[in-house]
Amino acid sequence: MELVNVFIKAAFIENLVLSYFLGMCSFLAVSKTLKTAFGLGLAVIFVLVVTMPINWLISTYLLDEGGVLGMDLTFLRFILFIAVIASMVQLVEMVIEKYSPSLYNSLGIFLPLITVNCAILGGSLFMVAREYTFAESIAFGAGGGFGWFLAIVALAAIREKIKYSNVPAPLRGLGMAFLLTGLMGMAFLSLLGIDPASF
Amino acid sequence: MAETTIEKKEPIFAFGKKERKLLTDPLNDNNPITVQVLGICSALAVTTLLFPSIIISIAVIFVCAFSNLFTSLLRKSIPKQVRMIVQLVIIATLVTVVELTLKALDYPTYKQLSVFIGLIITNCIVMGRLEAFAMANSPWKSFLDGVGNGVGYGVILIAVAFFREVFGKGTFLAGTPFEVKIIGPNSEYLINTMADGSWFSWYQNNNLMVLPAAAMFLIAIMIWIHRAWNPKLVDIS
Amino acid sequence: MRSNNYVIGFVVTMTVVVALVLSLMATGLKPIHDRNEAIFNKKAVLAAIESELGENVKADKLPDGEVLSIFDEKIVQTVIDIKGNPVSSEEVEARGYKGGLAEHVDMKKEKKKPAEDRIFPVFTYDNGGESIYIVSIRGNGLWDEIWGNVALKDDFATIVGASFDHQGETPGLGAEIKDNPAFKRQFQGKSIYDADGNYTSVVVRKGGARNTRYEVDGISGATVTADGVSDMLHTGIRYYQPYFKTLKKS
Repeated sequence: MELVNVFIKAAFIENLVLSYFLGMCSFLAVSKTLKTAFGLGLAVIFVLVVTMPINWLISTYLLDEGGVLGMDLTFLRFILFIAVIASMVQLVEMVIEKYSPSLYNSLGIFLPLITVNCAILGGSLFMVAREYTFAESIAFGAGGGFGWFLAIVALAAIREKIKYSNVPAPLRGLGMAFLLTGLMGMAFLSLLGIDPASF
Repeated sequence: MAETTIEKKEPIFAFGKKERKLLTDPLNDNNPITVQVLGICSALAVTTLLFPSIIISIAVIFVCAFSNLFTSLLRKSIPKQVRMIVQLVIIATLVTVVELTLKALDYPTYKQLSVFIGLIITNCIVMGRLEAFAMANSPWKSFLDGVGNGVGYGVILIAVAFFREVFGKGTFLAGTPFEVKIIGPNSEYLINTMADGSWFSWYQNNNLMVLPAAAMFLIAIMIWIHRAWNPKLVDIS
Repeated sequence: MRSNNYVIGFVVTMTVVVALVLSLMATGLKPIHDRNEAIFNKKAVLAAIESELGENVKADKLPDGEVLSIFDEKIVQTVIDIKGNPVSSEEVEARGYKGGLAEHVDMKKEKKKPAEDRIFPVFTYDNGGESIYIVSIRGNGLWDEIWGNVALKDDFATIVGASFDHQGETPGLGAEIKDNPAFKRQFQGKSIYDADGNYTSVVVRKGGARNTRYEVDGISGATVTADGVSDMLHTGIRYYQPYFKTLKKS
């Protein structure tokens, strides 16, 4: 039940992009069309679910004072996390290319972008700060990724429609995207009322 | 564009018109947030208060400037195959330096910023400037470009934080010795009642301002004003 | 393209240089980091007895030296188990808390264990002959944990002060338990027993306190957080009751 709780919280209550602004760059840049947004969203879920447990293992068994090395190596956390993310993205890219060219064609171009997506590193850093367990870290990765996916797909769909509206010239594009994100964030706030005890 | 400047024989630390442009360009025509749309991630979440925003701006300026400098110094020896990783390691190292320093100097702020210091690593401006500028320009110019972009970013961040803190909490620079209560009921007020204590005690703190959505609205308004005033930036697509 | 040897050499050199620089810096600054962390935790404890430290004292603004001297001269740290028996510092260390004092006990880790295995920190403050007992409590807010310290007079019924903190309550609503000094101040002088002597702890009442003896006003728009605070106080203080009983007897 704790896991469902973590998932719901990561996806709706503390949506990575809507309440922490993580992954905003690609969120705004790739949300012009629904199809690409869908692909990027899937890729983010995938990479989050893969990297979070690996970073959990590294952080618990390698960097922590109680780990196998018996030394406090937390100062290497940033470097190792980002290295894991970069290499996992590369690995995932190669695996997908080899075994599923069709998936690669739809996700391929977004994978390198994901390395510098704050949501991925942010997920790992939140996991350490909140002292999640191994299972919780996977639930958090899945929930966080799903929330991000939901947000970008929703924004892309709205942006596709708003193209035909008469928006004041200086607000066109970027300005409007910010306004929409803000409104979506407010809408998501209403989900705060979900009772965690009901899961 | 500045990115295409060709290297000539010039003094290492020149500070002429071109160099000044490197510093001022990111403040207006090429602002990292309102024009380049880079690096909005990572730091906006701390803009509910001014002081942490100033700290994180300083950190971004530092990381941006020095990662640009080091990348530029190494630009001829970095192997192409591992370029990304090398850049990320440089950035991550500098961010760790910032984290360790802040932890020693101001522990409460370090606690408050928690994960957001680490997230400077994936701040796209830093990475973006390394790719677009530092890999092709001399160290001194890259350093200036880094400072310029860091400042251009910090200005927006601090402006957002100013509005959010003043209208959301009624304070200015809360958490520092210079803390002032500007508007709204005194923070010592009893819950659900009003008592005066500052200049405009009738003002009720605007809770929208402390919500994340307010940062989005503020940036949208800034973009609006910026583009209305500088029409060549208007998005035509 | 460069040769593979060059690439490997470059990466290895860079790794060594970076690791060296960072580890030197981390070891060099470690004593300062540890001291800062200790002071930060101590200030959180002192926040519960701000009112006793002097007029308008804010625990988080106390100078570092003063925090340390208050802890050295006026505070005795005890760790107890669920039955109220003191736990030796060796045993606390054996449970993974380096230093073995009450201030080193991590309530977050303790909360994950079953209640009967937990240990609890107590800080006894010497207020000029009269003892004030500061106890740590931890519970759940809206979607994340909340925690705090409560200071009790030596009648083990009257609250001297309380302070709260949280992981992720909504800013402007639930987060007010930490940000709004008026919320904390309400707890001063409240009793954790009703007039008949039944244990009530302190209740945060939505819409305003009705029984001024043991109720305080809630925060509008933050019912779940307020209920969380009530729950946390109720269970948290109860864990210390056996210890209080042994103290009362002696």
